[in-house]
Amino acid sequence: MFSLNPALILILGALPALLLKGPLRAVYILLLPVLSFLQLYTLPAGSRAEFEILGMLLTTLHLDKLSFVFAVIFHIAAFLLILYSLHTRDRLQQMVTLIYAGCAIGAVLAGDLITLFIYFEAAALSSVFLIWSRRTPASYAAGMRYLIVQVISGLLLLTGIILHARSSGSIEFTQMDPGTPGGALIFLAFGIKCAFPLLHNWLVDAYPQATVTGTVVLSAFTTKMAVYALATAFAGTEILIWIGLMMTAFPIFYAVIENDLRRVLTYSMINQLGFMVVGVGIGTELALNGTAAHAFAHILYKALLFMSMGAVLLRTGRINGSDLGGLYKSMPYTAGFCIIGAASISAFPLFSGFVTKSMIMEAVALEGYTLAWLVLLFASAGVFHHSGIKIPYFAFFAHDSGIRCKEAPASMLCAMALAAVLCIYIGVFPQTLYALLPHEIGYQPYTMTHVTTQLQLLFFSALAFTWLVRQGLYPPELRSVNLDADWFYRKPGRWLVEHAMRSIVTGEQRMGVWIKRLSFSAGTRLHRHHGPQGLLAKTWPTGSMVLWVAFLLGVYLIFYYVY
Amino acid sequence: MNLLLQHLELALLIPLLGGALVLLFRNRPRLREASSLFAGILLFLYVTQLLGLYHEPSPVHTLLNISASLSIAFHLEPLGLVFALLASGLWVFTTMYSIGYMSGNSEKNLTRFYLFFSVSIAATMGIAFAANLFTLFIFYEALTLSTYPLVTHKQTSEARSGGRVYLGLLLGTSIMFFLTALVITWIRAGTLDFMPEGVLEGNTQGLAAVLLFTLFMLGIGKAALLPFYRWLPAAMIAPTPVSALLHAVAVVKAGVFSVLKISVYTFGIDYLATQEASGWILWLAVATMVVASIIALSKDNLKARLAYSTISQLSYIVIGAALAWPAAALGGALHIVTHAFGKITLFFCAGAIYTVTKYTRVSQLNGLGHKMPFTFAAFLLAAFSVIGLPPFIGSWSKWLLIEGSVDTQHYVVLFAFALSTLLNCAYLLPIGLRAFFKPPDPAQAVTSPGIQEAPLACLIPLCATAAATLLLFFYIQPLYDFLYPVFNS
Amino acid sequence: MNRKKHRYWLDSPANVRKLVYGLYSLCAALMLLDFFYHKHANFPFENWFGFFAWFGFIACVALVLLAKQMRKLVKRDEDYYGDV
Repeated sequence: MFSLNPALILILGALPALLLKGPLRAVYILLLPVLSFLQLYTLPAGSRAEFEILGMLLTTLHLDKLSFVFAVIFHIAAFLLILYSLHTRDRLQQMVTLIYAGCAIGAVLAGDLITLFIYFEAAALSSVFLIWSRRTPASYAAGMRYLIVQVISGLLLLTGIILHARSSGSIEFTQMDPGTPGGALIFLAFGIKCAFPLLHNWLVDAYPQATVTGTVVLSAFTTKMAVYALATAFAGTEILIWIGLMMTAFPIFYAVIENDLRRVLTYSMINQLGFMVVGVGIGTELALNGTAAHAFAHILYKALLFMSMGAVLLRTGRINGSDLGGLYKSMPYTAGFCIIGAASISAFPLFSGFVTKSMIMEAVALEGYTLAWLVLLFASAGVFHHSGIKIPYFAFFAHDSGIRCKEAPASMLCAMALAAVLCIYIGVFPQTLYALLPHEIGYQPYTMTHVTTQLQLLFFSALAFTWLVRQGLYPPELRSVNLDADWFYRKPGRWLVEHAMRSIVTGEQRMGVWIKRLSFSAGTRLHRHHGPQGLLAKTWPTGSMVLWVAFLLGVYLIFYYVY
Repeated sequence: MNLLLQHLELALLIPLLGGALVLLFRNRPRLREASSLFAGILLFLYVTQLLGLYHEPSPVHTLLNISASLSIAFHLEPLGLVFALLASGLWVFTTMYSIGYMSGNSEKNLTRFYLFFSVSIAATMGIAFAANLFTLFIFYEALTLSTYPLVTHKQTSEARSGGRVYLGLLLGTSIMFFLTALVITWIRAGTLDFMPEGVLEGNTQGLAAVLLFTLFMLGIGKAALLPFYRWLPAAMIAPTPVSALLHAVAVVKAGVFSVLKISVYTFGIDYLATQEASGWILWLAVATMVVASIIALSKDNLKARLAYSTISQLSYIVIGAALAWPAAALGGALHIVTHAFGKITLFFCAGAIYTVTKYTRVSQLNGLGHKMPFTFAAFLLAAFSVIGLPPFIGSWSKWLLIEGSVDTQHYVVLFAFALSTLLNCAYLLPIGLRAFFKPPDPAQAVTSPGIQEAPLACLIPLCATAAATLLLFFYIQPLYDFLYPVFNS
Repeated sequence: MNRKKHRYWLDSPANVRKLVYGLYSLCAALMLLDFFYHKHANFPFENWFGFFAWFGFIACVALVLLAKQMRKLVKRDEDYYGDV
């Protein structure tokens, strides 16, 4: 049976989007994710599509329950992001948004490693334009670094796939052993995309440099594709628990002192990814459900937060905490949506984060990882602190910066409103989301214990913030760069590479002089006949040209008749 | 139809005929250019016919017997057919393009230009269909000589000096090393014919095999290995269509085609592997690949940067042969095709930029993308392909090459491929990106109304080849199937 | 214009103080709630009185004060990498 891959609708449909104009174009690009979603929805469970290339049979479409959840949320995200980007005249950005979303969907629907690799790479390639489109020197350089890191991840994945295929004889994308050389490389490749500690810098470096809409778009896909890939290939790998814990814990310290509010959000993104990675590491049905559900909710509230910050950046041209404040007066709706996003990421009861994160926490507790659970609890308090309070507080409240601007454009407000509604809907009616999850479990988030303890945690965190601010102990927002792991490649690494290259270039020049001298003496001899003054390259009298061709033809004919 | 198969010399005759027509119509530019285009299309059709008729390697078709074991002879086999198809197909595009380019830059001596272009293609066809080493050698030299007037086309002192390096290195290496290797092979094997399993099995062992292979590879200067690659940047003095077809496709690919042909049909992949005959050359090619990429990064002149990029990419193919492993060699053969599409597009774009703006340096391109969106978009697509990113055609050949290096456990080679990929990104992408994403330099006249998209005759070929880099990604399978038997007998 | 003169509810320090006191009383109420229901705990320490409350408070204070110290180590000038 022929089943059209929904990803192709978005990818191929994106190309005409570059040509259309005006309202027709807006309708068209909004319709694409809807069409694609309908195609996904009508695909029967277990649909497959195959394609043979280079002697390998690719499974370009393989629909299972886990891929279905991710495909659904990617579609919702694509629609919201397109809606959010309608204000911009930059058609390139909208086109790559569609292609990027299509690649993300293609990746989670991929049944084999090679298809996955192709979609991963295509996603990297399309997404980088969202960074470059900001057209500043900083974003240009950051985009380049981003692409290089993605290509490195791609090369690791490629090598891993080849090794894995050699040892296992299959390219099917399924559970793998990270202990084999192939498995280890694939694990590392996913790790880069998922922003494992020390491999995370591309994220923090590049995302805040993207355009207003670009950062929102970027936040939705790449890392969640990686979470999906980890959940498919490495569920239950214990080391992921410890990696995930580090991811939840270290970024919150940076988030506290970071000034660029979109960068604060990227640090908090790593923290949230950490929860998902821990869930994959635990690997029980509850944990994997938790991971999928948390990814689902996370995409929505993270997009909502990035959208509100994008609106601020669009209207004020600033994004540093030190420059902002008091914006609730000018942008009340945006402020309201931002607070909803903040409440969701902080996992307040009745908001989406509450019903998803708790599954992961519960799974960790059930497996008896006491330390891990405590770290996650600390991280939960921390995330409320910087995403839940710091972001809305420094942008919209704090001291009045005196900036008065317009409220965000209508299309942006619509997108934010929709995202906000979804955040609350999931929080209030969690069973709708649970029904989509890969495993059947009877999980109930709203228990007295759970609600009370969560409220205690959150309100006493808020109390701590209030107390610190009123005591003047809270670190002020400062214009600065905070060193992170990227220092290693941006300072000493760069110095090393530059020096190595310089010496190679000088060496080559020296060799060139020597070779040239050698070839010149040979060339000069030949030159007498062939040079511009020679027989072969004068501004020829045409007669001699005729002679030459006649000669060649003659030679040819002699050959021919002799034979 | 069998007539076509029996008269392979038609492949030489058609371009020569085109050359004759060019001469005939030397005073009527329209007809002169039309006849060049006509010959291109005719040749392409002829080669596609051959492809359609091809079933198995044809019997050798001798033109001239010099002695019992020395002859000028042609035969049909997949590798040569693919190369001929590639060169003839891209010739059509290049002819269209050069019509736009040469008139746009008001170049002179066009009759000479088109004539030698045709002769070069004839020589390339001779290489593609050569049935033995001697024939290959003869046409290899003929190609060098017939491209020389194209390199020195501008007749400036700079062009002359470039031409001297070009001729000196190519002829010098071929006579010193290639010819020597050829004679040794003749003495050892008693034949120069290309055979499916090679001809050296049982008569050349150990160090002798290593030396012989090394001599061959150094002798094929057109494959641009360290240290004999300087001719390629020197040849960049030529008009851009020449650089595009000859120095991105025909001449350089004739070099690596010879490398593959000799590896497969004179040595045999299995023999190469058992004798470890390609060990030295493997490391030389790896070094060339990395060094040339680094040099490319340091070049601000656009065509020079592309030339060094070509040198680096040619080494991919030599590595493919030198790994002595079917998947790798097949990857090398595919790389001839995949790289050709990417690189010819890059040169077309460089030429289009030059035609419109007269800019030759990368640093001058800031902000030009808004004036020439198609040219720079095509440039970016082709750059992605050359880097080897999916979904572009260049990724398949790179895939097979990497697979080969993993299979043979040459992890250093694997690492070098990875390093080269990153360097490719670093030197190719900024060219297209700065045009779109960096603001124009106020000191330059980028914003002047005179600067607009390139003429259609330039634009159509470059868009077509750029689109091919993307579309052929999905249609690589027939090519793969066609070449597969060559390396997996 | 009118907008400049307009005073928002939050502009008045008295109102801010009201909010803060609201938070204090809410916290107190939540703490006291521990007396009135049975906790379903996975770990024994969860049953300690107000565990989540003081954990949240201490965690946040520690986080901020540690991060503040971290600045001494990692804070650099905005143009440190030379690309702004």
